[in-house]
Amino acid sequence: MRMRRIGVCLAVAACAALGTPAVTGVGAPQAHAADSKVLRVAVTTAVASLNPFLAYHQADTEIGRMMYEFLTAYDQTDQHPVPGLAESWQVGTDKLTWTFKIRQGMKWSDDKPITAKDVAFTYNLMLTNAVARTANGNFVSNFDTVTAPDDTTLVVRTKQPQATMLALDVPIVPEHVWASKVDKLVNYTNLDFPVVGSGPFTLVDYKPDQYVKLKANPNFWRGKATVDEVDFYHYDNTDAAAQALIKGDVDLVSKLTAAQFDTLKGKDGITTNKAVGRRFNDLIINPGAQTNTRQPIGDGNPALRDVKLRQAIAQAIDAKTLVDKSYGGYAEPGSSYIPPVFSKWSTNQQRTFDLAAANRTLDEAGYRKGPDGKRLDKEGKPLTLRLIGDSGQPTDNPNGQYLKSWLGQLGIPVDVQLVSGDKLGDVTTAGNYDLSFSTWGVNPDPDAVLTLQTCAALPDAEGKSGTTETFTCDEQYDQLYKAQLSELDEGKRVQEVKQAQQRLAELATSVTFAYPDQLEAYRSDRFSSFAVQPNPGGVITGQNGYWGYYKAVPAAAGTSSGVTPTGLVIGIVVAVVVVAGVVLLVVSRRRKSTADERE
Amino acid sequence: MTSTTPAAITWRRRRAAAATVWRQFLRDRGGVIGLAVLVLIIGLALLAPVLTDAAGLDPTQATGGRLQPPSGTYLLGTDELGRSVLLQLWWGARISLLVGVLATLVSVGIGTLFGVATAHFGGWVAAVLTRATDFFLVLPSLVLAIALSTVLDRGIFAIVLAIGVTSWPTTARLVRAQTLSVESRPYIERAWALGAGHLHVIGRHVLPAVLPLVFANTTLTVASSIIAESTLSFLGLGDPSAASWGTMLNSAMLSGAVTFGAWWYLLPPGLAIAVIVLAFMVCGRALESVLNPRLRER
Repeated sequence: MRMRRIGVCLAVAACAALGTPAVTGVGAPQAHAADSKVLRVAVTTAVASLNPFLAYHQADTEIGRMMYEFLTAYDQTDQHPVPGLAESWQVGTDKLTWTFKIRQGMKWSDDKPITAKDVAFTYNLMLTNAVARTANGNFVSNFDTVTAPDDTTLVVRTKQPQATMLALDVPIVPEHVWASKVDKLVNYTNLDFPVVGSGPFTLVDYKPDQYVKLKANPNFWRGKATVDEVDFYHYDNTDAAAQALIKGDVDLVSKLTAAQFDTLKGKDGITTNKAVGRRFNDLIINPGAQTNTRQPIGDGNPALRDVKLRQAIAQAIDAKTLVDKSYGGYAEPGSSYIPPVFSKWSTNQQRTFDLAAANRTLDEAGYRKGPDGKRLDKEGKPLTLRLIGDSGQPTDNPNGQYLKSWLGQLGIPVDVQLVSGDKLGDVTTAGNYDLSFSTWGVNPDPDAVLTLQTCAALPDAEGKSGTTETFTCDEQYDQLYKAQLSELDEGKRVQEVKQAQQRLAELATSVTFAYPDQLEAYRSDRFSSFAVQPNPGGVITGQNGYWGYYKAVPAAAGTSSGVTPTGLVIGIVVAVVVVAGVVLLVVSRRRKSTADERE
Repeated sequence: MTSTTPAAITWRRRRAAAATVWRQFLRDRGGVIGLAVLVLIIGLALLAPVLTDAAGLDPTQATGGRLQPPSGTYLLGTDELGRSVLLQLWWGARISLLVGVLATLVSVGIGTLFGVATAHFGGWVAAVLTRATDFFLVLPSLVLAIALSTVLDRGIFAIVLAIGVTSWPTTARLVRAQTLSVESRPYIERAWALGAGHLHVIGRHVLPAVLPLVFANTTLTVASSIIAESTLSFLGLGDPSAASWGTMLNSAMLSGAVTFGAWWYLLPPGLAIAVIVLAFMVCGRALESVLNPRLRER
């Protein structure tokens, strides 16, 4: 028993030592017939929910965008709002009444017509059902009424002017399917294959932690996609995914590390894409977690309620070094809350790394140093902080080590803990952290990420129905948030959004330190090009839209039969040679023996 | 020095026995080599703070480039943050050994306690303890250890505890068998007849007879504990601030060193694990064959 266990363990260690990634070969992608054009994508994040009302993780919404068209879409080139289900729109003189013209003749994937009634149903469901507001509630919280006077007209009346009316990231669902699911929405998984949708692809199969399969939707209003099928295969880590790309098991890989990207750059049959990312990576500092009824929750260090301490921590983070080292240079140093890719909204306000200033801030704020050089909090107790990160994020460990060192130089010992992504989510939602790494993707319209920092985003007593990132709740920030939301003059709105970000920087509950580049690679022997957003320099995966998958161009026939068949042929030849050799050997032996016996 | 008090006689006899064991151990060449390797590695690990500068482990002090192959400055190359792999390997030995030894102490402690108690007391105590042992014996220990280290707060001691409480049943079985065999001997019966209590019998007769075997078993358990620690750390359950060899492998995998082909980052910790485990194994086997009369070649 023990020996066997040791054997297994040794095998694991040996695998590790020999550099074979510990891949769980779940649902290893199969080679497809040459005539069907299948795009195989490796993903490393697990799908949490495919119910569009509950899905807000990036892995989920990315698939959601392929399944459901929105009212408006984002342009592939510069991400301005373009027609989606609505072909045109106008706002009344009162700035409160929006009339959308829904395109005629569109059909769901089950051939039923798509009408304004479906859109009205979706929005009204969100207005009346709290569960339906889980993922995208911020878009409708200001809606007064939504009506569909006829099949091609949608009228939305808002309580206050709303700036995000052309950026409503709400998947529109078919009323004829969802009307019966309303009562048990929270438990509805939306996995009745094929899932009726309006987007360029239809969900046809899903196995948790193995794969998600989508087939091209022939009824999609822009026309059928160039590929017939998009399959997402789950890999446990990006190294396994990178190996799968090299072997030709998958066609597209994203979220590569710097080392993997540099390696893939030189490989035959592989093209790399260094894309400017739309995510920010930040350190969140627990300012005293509370519920939406202002009940304190969690076990965050109370010392962090002091804004001075948080600001000192922010001063002690050298974004430039993190970018150069942890990200291998493949990132932009963090400054404002909104990434510079959205240059209109970004303040681009650089934070200066200054340990001396941070030390002064702490001295002035009354954090004395004890005899051992460690800071004491205001009650005279030693100040130590826990920093929690995701063990599956390649950059969290190095970032944690750097922060530990810098904060250590301020006299604040940091205990770095890395946990699984699931546990990290639980811990931060419950407020059981002092410092934690976090990351969010930003949309062309900044409202969705700005709303994360409002009091309204605080969770309820069960820790649910709140999307708060940092447990920030600040009156001044909330006013700026509301002001920008109801500002239809874009120039003024930009100013208000920037002010809101400045306020956030003062509060120092979220310290943005990097906007990682999205490092992608694809098999150019199977796909000649992908549509990137924004164009040029943008991403293939994780877009504000479906362009990357929708416009994927398969390589011309002939070149597509790349690695696998060649390997197969060589394998067959080798096998034939070996078998023939063995047969010859056996036959000759037998001849000899019979000959010997005959003698 | 010919003292004739009973204690002195006992000690002289023990010294003589130890000398015999040592002589027999020296005859096993593999065991001696294993011991030499262990002494070397443990010595180097203990002397790490004297011989090297721990500041090199701090990424903010690192001077090397990302994933540089071995060179004159960095004999085993650098990791993804430009730190010397050799230095990490050196300091990683301390964590790997510390966790291995501590976990073994926990495991062997529980195992000995359960084993002796099961065999000595018999009856319902034995029934309960045997069932408990069986329960832990059938549980897949790696899975249990993963579950435990997920629930417990992260850190070295979580790993120690996770390994310790999952790997004791084999020791308990071994000790139980040896205790049963010892207690059936006539001198134990004589001790009972002379009015000895449980404490006397266990402390004076059973433990001294069982401990050599436990000691040999300990050496083997350290090997599997180090493997278990490396496995858990490789799976990302270790303490990121106290890097062990398993943690190094985990960082190598996460940073993409495998795809990069950075063998200097993968092979050293992998080989180090293999070497130290092998050393503990041969040492333990040699010791076992000396101390366990059944394995002794006559």
